[in-house]
Amino acid sequence: MSMKISIIKPGLLSTIQDMGRYRYLSQAVPVSGAMDELAHRLANKAVGNDDNSATIEFTYADASFKAETPILISYSGDGAFLVYNNELMPAEKPLFFPAGSIIKLINNPIGVRTYLAIAGGWDVPDIMESKSTYVTAAFGGFKGRALQKADVLVGGTLLSEVSNRILSQLIEQSLTYPNWRISRESLLPEKRQSIRIVLANEINWFDATSIISFLTGTYMIDRRSNRMGYHLSGKPLARKVKKELLSTAVTPGIIQVTGSGDLVILMADCQTTGGYPRIAHVAAVDLPLCAQFKPGDAIHFSEISRDEAEELYLEREHDLSLITMAISLKYIKT
Amino acid sequence: MNEQVGYFGANIPIKIYGLSEKSVTITFGTAIDNDLLALITDFNRLLLQNPFSGLITTVPAYATLTVFFDPLSVMLSDLPGEVCFEKVSAHLNKIAQTKREKSKLIANKLVIPVCYGGDFGRDLLTVARTNKLTEAEVIDIHTAGEYVVFMIGFVPGFAYMGGMDARLSTPRKEVPDAKIPTGSVGIAGNQTGIYPMETPGGWQVIGRTPLKMFNVNRLQPSLLKGGDTVVFKAIDINEFNASIGI
Repeated sequence: MSMKISIIKPGLLSTIQDMGRYRYLSQAVPVSGAMDELAHRLANKAVGNDDNSATIEFTYADASFKAETPILISYSGDGAFLVYNNELMPAEKPLFFPAGSIIKLINNPIGVRTYLAIAGGWDVPDIMESKSTYVTAAFGGFKGRALQKADVLVGGTLLSEVSNRILSQLIEQSLTYPNWRISRESLLPEKRQSIRIVLANEINWFDATSIISFLTGTYMIDRRSNRMGYHLSGKPLARKVKKELLSTAVTPGIIQVTGSGDLVILMADCQTTGGYPRIAHVAAVDLPLCAQFKPGDAIHFSEISRDEAEELYLEREHDLSLITMAISLKYIKT
Repeated sequence: MNEQVGYFGANIPIKIYGLSEKSVTITFGTAIDNDLLALITDFNRLLLQNPFSGLITTVPAYATLTVFFDPLSVMLSDLPGEVCFEKVSAHLNKIAQTKREKSKLIANKLVIPVCYGGDFGRDLLTVARTNKLTEAEVIDIHTAGEYVVFMIGFVPGFAYMGGMDARLSTPRKEVPDAKIPTGSVGIAGNQTGIYPMETPGGWQVIGRTPLKMFNVNRLQPSLLKGGDTVVFKAIDINEFNASIGI
């Protein structure tokens, strides 16, 4: 039997996302996917799902839903805390709720986005090999749109062995959860306002003073920030080379410099090509931190080499695979 | 910057730079032209026929080809090099050494029906006046041309096409329209393009096609792809209405 919830209050922008749609970039279909891929993956891991299973990405709080059947869910991220019967629910941990439970999201002042995973993943059709929602072109996810009041979402019926075992240990007439949880903190740096970057191909198009202010200055997340990208306010950068860049492929994490010298960090729903010179790209391991920035947050950049960024990426993937292994060892004795 | 240089077909210099942990870009030149397009299309075809372990997809643009990959698979592969950039570059340079056959670009040629002017092409008069032509002359010149798709970008299925007659060249609007309807055919500078979905935009709209330029239910959702050739055919409102949604 499938698990089911209904949306009581959808919140500001709640969409179904997975790890993105990569194979149609040449047709200008954006990657989309979870903005905070780390939180998305941890929420999935906590219920025994594959990392690419679809989750709900909530933006801020002020949302609520009802368990229409018994459900096994987990959440991760910094936009909201889950609350049930006035009790704060632990994150990055499988949570079993009996049918009829009403679960609310209340504000977490730290960030913006929170991911809700269900055992089996949210069951929506694959569009171009992904379940991610791209609202701008109205495809993917739940009917190509943000969730609305009274929408009913169903979990996939094919549960992994780990999901089945978690479920069989927790299934009760009331809320239950195990004593373990994934430590997301151990994967996040202490200073979350410091973003590691790798200098980009057009770095020499900017004058030396501008490069120094980019690497030492403070930038503020502007109000013009959404799933496509974040505009930053701060000292505008001056160009040494004035020529035009022929439009070429870009990808989430790239920092473009607009005609007026302002910085834009490209995010999940960014266009697939761009014609602004690029000063840097955000290290893949720090992109989830960017996903949690709010307008008004002050950030700064620190330079690392391309090889260091790759090493951090590979280490992170290794750490994540160890988490998956540890969870399966808890439930599947070899 | 860290970059690698090789030669495609032994005479065209290519340059490779890292774009992110999961992608590198190959630069083939610095201009918009048909020879470069043919070169990139050939290289892309060769690469897709001879992929390396971990290759996810490629994105052609005017003068570049960007290659996306899964770093874990690349690191596990036996390509020479210590890091992904070296390993992927080694493979791309090997492709570049492949003898390039003197094959002409085998491109799809598509005929796109357009209902010009009226409510569908509110800027047809602007394009005519800018170039001291009548509306009928604009349509004649626009339908006489053969256009080349350089790349798909901006929004899903939006084709940047070159090869427009310079007599139609019109600057884009100073204040973009808030909504350009799906299927609108526009002109901006020396380029012509078709809006696959309703978006804001600054192009001068001269007509509308009933064809679905982007449809997620097709095997290839974007009707056009880089390297395709396009001709426009004028249709009237009755033909437009009869062929809507094809």
